[in-house]
Amino acid sequence: MKRLLIIVAFVATAVSAVAQDKGYLTGSFESNDHIYVQDEKNRFIPDDDRFGTNNYLKLDYYNGNFSAGMQMEGYYPALIGYPHELKKFAVSNMYVNWKDEDFQITAGTFYDQFGSGLLFRSWEDRLLGLNNTIMGARFAYNWDDKVSFKALWGMPRLGMEFSDTQVRGADLSVSLSNIIGLDDVVLSVEGSVLNKFEKLGIDAQEAGGSPNSVGYSGRVNFDWNGLFVKGEYVDLGKKLVALQQKRGNAQLVELGYNGRGLGVTLTGRRLEWMGQTITSRSQSAANLISYVPAMSTQYTYMLTTLHPYNPQVGDESSYTFNSGEMGGQLDAFYNFRRGTKLGGKRGMKVHANFSTYYTLAQEGSYTPGNLLFRDFSFDVEKQWTKEFKMVLLYSMQEYNPTYGNFKTTWLSNIVVADLLYKWTPTFSTRLELQYLTTKEDKKDWMAALLEVNFAPHWSIWGSDMYNHGSTKMHYYNIGVSYTKGRTRLAAGYGRYKDGFICSGGVCRQIPQYTGANFSITTSF
Amino acid sequence: MRNFLLSIALLISAVAAAQVPSVTVENSKGEAVNTKTLLAEGTPMIVSFWSTSCKPCIRELDAIYDALPDWLDEVKFRVVAVSTDDSRLLAKAKSFAEGRGWGEDYTLLFDKNQDFMRAMNVSVVPHVFVIDGKGKVVYSHTSYVPGNELELFEAIKKCAK
Repeated sequence: MKRLLIIVAFVATAVSAVAQDKGYLTGSFESNDHIYVQDEKNRFIPDDDRFGTNNYLKLDYYNGNFSAGMQMEGYYPALIGYPHELKKFAVSNMYVNWKDEDFQITAGTFYDQFGSGLLFRSWEDRLLGLNNTIMGARFAYNWDDKVSFKALWGMPRLGMEFSDTQVRGADLSVSLSNIIGLDDVVLSVEGSVLNKFEKLGIDAQEAGGSPNSVGYSGRVNFDWNGLFVKGEYVDLGKKLVALQQKRGNAQLVELGYNGRGLGVTLTGRRLEWMGQTITSRSQSAANLISYVPAMSTQYTYMLTTLHPYNPQVGDESSYTFNSGEMGGQLDAFYNFRRGTKLGGKRGMKVHANFSTYYTLAQEGSYTPGNLLFRDFSFDVEKQWTKEFKMVLLYSMQEYNPTYGNFKTTWLSNIVVADLLYKWTPTFSTRLELQYLTTKEDKKDWMAALLEVNFAPHWSIWGSDMYNHGSTKMHYYNIGVSYTKGRTRLAAGYGRYKDGFICSGGVCRQIPQYTGANFSITTSF
Repeated sequence: MRNFLLSIALLISAVAAAQVPSVTVENSKGEAVNTKTLLAEGTPMIVSFWSTSCKPCIRELDAIYDALPDWLDEVKFRVVAVSTDDSRLLAKAKSFAEGRGWGEDYTLLFDKNQDFMRAMNVSVVPHVFVIDGKGKVVYSHTSYVPGNELELFEAIKKCAK
């Protein structure tokens, strides 16, 4: 606590020293708390303390081009299922920053990403318990809108500490279209390089592993009147996987068209040995220094998220020893405008997605070319009257329960109806009805959710997800929230299923539990 | 702990209202845009942070979209929709926004590593701000249930006066 007070005093002094015209302070606070309850039906027996609490306080001070800030995190203890290294208190972020139109220089902690993040990404995701901020220094320079360059050095954070791994990187982006002076066309070429230095154990050294690894990426972006093409090639350099030398590499292509109420995107991606961690000494889900997400639809309805896709990035620490994956997805969005035949008086929105991924036909794969995941979904959204809005969704998901180890896949068909009715301008109800049918796994599921909203402050909800095909288990949840301005308080009670929590295409495994939860989020 | 809270309270009371910080984000074409350029026109604006996997965010932006023609009859302002989707969903977010017709009426920005979101101290989406013509935050609200947009309209009317 003494250390904390010194830090606050330091920030306060820095603020008053720089504050010629006062500047402003902003911040946020978030607390998520659980009380666990023994539940024999769910086979859940809580630890002795029966309690978990994750807390975050963030403060930022801005004055003209100058800013400084910090973030503190406290886990007393961490919520169930969070990475085990999250415990007690730490100042996770602390920085000073100068940014004008052309220059930016940061000392302390910072977040950054090169391209799509396949080579390097530093970010925070509280749902995953991930905060791999870099402690070091960063410099960025823009020459008009033609060239931008950045260079960084530092140590990534893992859990409550900064690791002894070091990263050094540089990123250059050149806008050819702005240099030539083309108006309608965007054309840029980009490149990045990243050096990682990690102290290795004797085994790894004897197997020829080097503490230094160098990766690079090359990218191209093109846009002409809504037609776009993006390409990225990443080479992670040589890396040691199960004491063998492998070369990590990835290719990513995105192309499509956005315009006139139509949005179409086709994505293709191939990954080979792309797992990249801060340290080889940790198995934590937060031990990441790059971003290799699942490129598929991220669903939000209960039954559509029972088996989210977890990509095979190519790593020995995955569920199997697998060299990687290859696949793609197609997304199409269309808005039938008001006044058209299908659009009717209030328009109609439709969306379809198809995604499919396979194991690589490469040395190191258990069985090459096996289907890992396939999903076809279609949803339509229609505002029938001023009061009534309807969303219908169909999804056919096929996934490989052995992560590509065997050919066997499980198929499920899911339908969802989401019905919103506004009884008055401030009183509304929303009903979700869901059904999942499958011949495999735990057979059929059904689920329902009812939400009653009293704007501007209150919302209450209750839901139940019921496996009537096999286990006869109910996963129920009731809750209430109160919001005023930028403060939200929520409380709930429920039985939760084990599985994966996924955020931004990255997943972590969570156990089943039963209990009460409280949360507060506020900012100022 | 008491001293700590006191120091924070002192800090907050000693400084002025929050503004739009200078952060680099992307536009629909993938070009870098500094958030300070949003203030160039000097008109009030609604800044809404959203993501493709956030249903309430989409409902809020749709509600604003439907009410916009009537609101603009009364007040001059603009709407800035900031997608906080990671690079995984970035291309999808652009297609999604186009497929809802937002591109015609909203200024679309894409904050793929959540730099702008962090700088505005947004912890969860949806989170909406009303910014006056001088760049000061005059109202903000987190989460959305149908009807919250009425409060938002009151805030933007007040700030245009």
